[in-house]
Amino acid sequence: MFFPEAMNEVQLIVPSKDLLAVTNVLGSRGVFHQIDSTYLGVNSGPNTWQEKAARCSALERRIQGVLQILSLKEEYFESSGFDSEDLDMMRFAIESIEADVKATSDQWANEKKRLEQLESQLRQLEPIADINVEVGSFQNSRYLYSILGIIPASNISRLETSLSRVPHVLFTLKEDVHKPVVWILARRSNSDMIDRAVKSAYLNPLALPEKFEGTPAKVAESIRVEIESTKRKISDLDDALVKLANIHKSELYKLLWNVHVNRMMAEAIARFGQLRHTYVVVGWVPTSDLPSLTQRLKNVSKEILIEAMPMARAGHPSNVPVALHNPGLLRPFEMLVNTYARPRYEEIDPTVLIALTFPLLFGAMFGDVGHGLMLAAIGWLLSSKKIKALRGMASLGGLMTACGLFGAIFGFLFGSVFAFEDVLPENPFFKQFFWMKPLENIIETLGIAVGLGIALLSIGLLLNLYNAIRARDWARFFFDPNGLAGLILYWSLLGLIASIFIHGFPIPWPVFVILIVLGALASVALSEPLKRLVEGYRPLIEGGVGIYIVQTFFELLEKFISMFSNTMSFVRVGAFAVAHAGFCLAVFVFAGLASGGTNTGFGYWAMVVAGNIGVVLFEGFIVSIQTMRLHYYEFFSKFFTGGGLPYEPLALPGAQKN
Amino acid sequence: MSGGVSAYAAISSRVRAMYANLLTPQDVLQLSEASDFSSLFGLLKNTAYGPYLDSLKDKDIAPKRAIIQIKRKLAASYNSVIQMTPVETRPLVKELYRYFELGNLKAILRGLVTVSVGNSETTLWDRVREVLFPLGSDTVLPAQAMIESGSVTSAVDLLHGTPYEEALSFAMKRYSAEQNLFPLEVALDLSHWRRLWSQAGKLTGQDHQYGAKIIGSLLDMNNLMWAIRYRVYYKLSEEEIINYTLPFGYRVHDSDIRAIAAGADIAPIVMRIYPMIGDVNVMFEEPQAGLPKLEFQLKRQLMNQCLSAFVGSPFHIGIPLAFLVMSDLEVQDLTVLIEAKSSNMPDDEYRPFLLKPTLLN
Repeated sequence: MFFPEAMNEVQLIVPSKDLLAVTNVLGSRGVFHQIDSTYLGVNSGPNTWQEKAARCSALERRIQGVLQILSLKEEYFESSGFDSEDLDMMRFAIESIEADVKATSDQWANEKKRLEQLESQLRQLEPIADINVEVGSFQNSRYLYSILGIIPASNISRLETSLSRVPHVLFTLKEDVHKPVVWILARRSNSDMIDRAVKSAYLNPLALPEKFEGTPAKVAESIRVEIESTKRKISDLDDALVKLANIHKSELYKLLWNVHVNRMMAEAIARFGQLRHTYVVVGWVPTSDLPSLTQRLKNVSKEILIEAMPMARAGHPSNVPVALHNPGLLRPFEMLVNTYARPRYEEIDPTVLIALTFPLLFGAMFGDVGHGLMLAAIGWLLSSKKIKALRGMASLGGLMTACGLFGAIFGFLFGSVFAFEDVLPENPFFKQFFWMKPLENIIETLGIAVGLGIALLSIGLLLNLYNAIRARDWARFFFDPNGLAGLILYWSLLGLIASIFIHGFPIPWPVFVILIVLGALASVALSEPLKRLVEGYRPLIEGGVGIYIVQTFFELLEKFISMFSNTMSFVRVGAFAVAHAGFCLAVFVFAGLASGGTNTGFGYWAMVVAGNIGVVLFEGFIVSIQTMRLHYYEFFSKFFTGGGLPYEPLALPGAQKN
Repeated sequence: MSGGVSAYAAISSRVRAMYANLLTPQDVLQLSEASDFSSLFGLLKNTAYGPYLDSLKDKDIAPKRAIIQIKRKLAASYNSVIQMTPVETRPLVKELYRYFELGNLKAILRGLVTVSVGNSETTLWDRVREVLFPLGSDTVLPAQAMIESGSVTSAVDLLHGTPYEEALSFAMKRYSAEQNLFPLEVALDLSHWRRLWSQAGKLTGQDHQYGAKIIGSLLDMNNLMWAIRYRVYYKLSEEEIINYTLPFGYRVHDSDIRAIAAGADIAPIVMRIYPMIGDVNVMFEEPQAGLPKLEFQLKRQLMNQCLSAFVGSPFHIGIPLAFLVMSDLEVQDLTVLIEAKSSNMPDDEYRPFLLKPTLLN
């Protein structure tokens, strides 16, 4: 929970005879994150399994094609187990079904095509149906050049622009969003330009049916008669196809399942390293799933060799897939973490931490019992997925609920309920929970907020040290700006301020000045050279001493400013707590104005309700943004690098884990 | 304003954090100092691209694989931004992302044309796959099936129900007659930019202002270069140039395109639209060498437009769009570097085409 799941790099040596059974176990368990290990094999080129995967893929498409012809949905119903010998049989079975269906489906397709042609011809004619001339006759005109055609709607105005210098007439005979029909008439002497223009505007000339003669109206009538006859034939063929679907349905689904599983297996095996009599399989398995997987593998293959190497968090194991393992309640916070970055394998997964600090900071800025409970109720409603239109926001629900509840807790501490600031502090029961009113203790509130910030930043720096220790990254531990030297610098600066302003502070200020100098030197000024020294890189200083000194000066300046600004950023927590009370005060001022100074009546209460809703919406947005900002910018940047690889296990349909 | 604040506060913060991870001009210069491809690869591993490059095994470290991994970061940025973008503006960002899918579609069609002149089909998919932008599951293209279909016509048939179907349905008649991909590619380009511009037009307020500015600047660059190339390289007629270009943009107006199509002197038109670009006349004296320089300068203008989006109010779509365009330009810089280093190109031949370092000037 505090770290990504511990992973084992697993290497399997699988006898060829057990290959399929082992792959089946790997795929059906859904816990094995496969690595391409073809490079370990003796064949580096395309192997038979790739060919098999391609064959399966082609077969799958053929089955899908038949399903489509028979109007059957593409679904996977688990059928018989995997058997490698089935592939040829499956091909024969598919061919047999195809042959059975082919005659009817070809006839159906031909009739459909014929129907489409006829309907297309009819559509072409309909716009000009009321023209009592033979449109075709224009094509043989001596002086007039005419083109009738379909054009993309978006190209019509461009076509007109391109013909602006050529005398012409353009009629849009049919205003269709997708396929409008246009008719262009121009002088035959300009036919070259017209041809170039219509061609480049993607106008597809209409070929008027030659079989039919007469005016467009007469031709259209003949086509309609033919369309009716074709439709009757199609209807008869549809019935035939339904019968065929009923006959072949179960076999098709069985084939689809088998071919699909075959394909996935073949694709997986194609990425194994193939030796003479064995296969090398490499991948990652979470430690918790390793014993059961190992047992299952040994059950299906007595001679399998399994080597599992627990992956240490030391170093920078960037190729290890990262599987986060948090309880369902923490998923919204995991989402928040993943939005920033996926943790690396060696890093702390900050989900648990953020599940505490995010609602805490939010609640401190949104302290009101009523508002908090409102938010929590909305959050619960979202996560319960009771409102269909808001189901997409379900993942936000948990986050809102937690934030709302913390808002309510701080509401009790600040004595605020639905903007009423005096109700709770004066109630004998709730009085015992009352702490202080932020608006009346502004300096104290802001000071506590800064203190909270110092604590969070210090936790961030300490977590960075912890991450560095786990990764055995000693250069980072000692000399990173957020490492031990950085922590000493930060705490020394705080100590210096404390010793100056707090009378009788036990440690004299010169001690802090010395520590600041040492910390600044180690974490900024000499950080890079020291890191290079520890890691063995040369030269220690790049780009010359002069540039280095100038760069160091500005880095030091930046470091001090950023430490100050990072800390002061947390003032906003107190500031928003104060602002909340200010907003509440404003609500009652407006309510008083609405009631004409009587502080009662419909106007007064309507304004109180509207004001509360306004405060919840406005503050809710702003506070959530500020909370996110404080975490992403100030907190995460101290210890969280991110960039981990997602864990994507091999999972056949119906795999147990997923 | 509060709508903008609420909608953009989170994405603005996140995008700014991601923006801070982009390479600085100094970083790019430092990368260009690498002696060869393998040292460049080593340096890149210490940048934000590191996690993507780390997954390459030693035997896989090849320029093409490195470029794909680098593009994966761009894909991740797009996914991240799309996920956070407000519902109203998300279609625009998605459409912008589709530009890479369009590139993939063109690569697939080109691959199919290549196979028809005698290469074996078994290796075609592997070769095409190497140049596809890694869109993962965010694509409507059945890429492998298209390649395996064996012909452009069959491949296009597989695009039924996709945004490309309509444009291709018209253009395929010309392909069948001419057996040339040019009409298909032009139709796809025009259709994409029309959709993108239409999405930008649907926005309101500051979103519209910045959407039109960034998307319009991108469109300007493409539209202007199309018009110039069609005239200078392809010697197309006025009617064809007009039909193969678009009548809208941010700085480039229809009148400019029509003037180029009609045969007007191109250099003064470019200088009027972009007075900040110098030596335009020189570029047109030797178009073969000059037009790439002009395109580079237009990209530079685009980069400046993107940078300006980060100034002022942060609550609009301009910042995510600008970040994505800047990320794409950065990938283009890195592609130039990788290809230059892997082919041992002398520094003075490729450095003038690195965009980021021009910010130092």
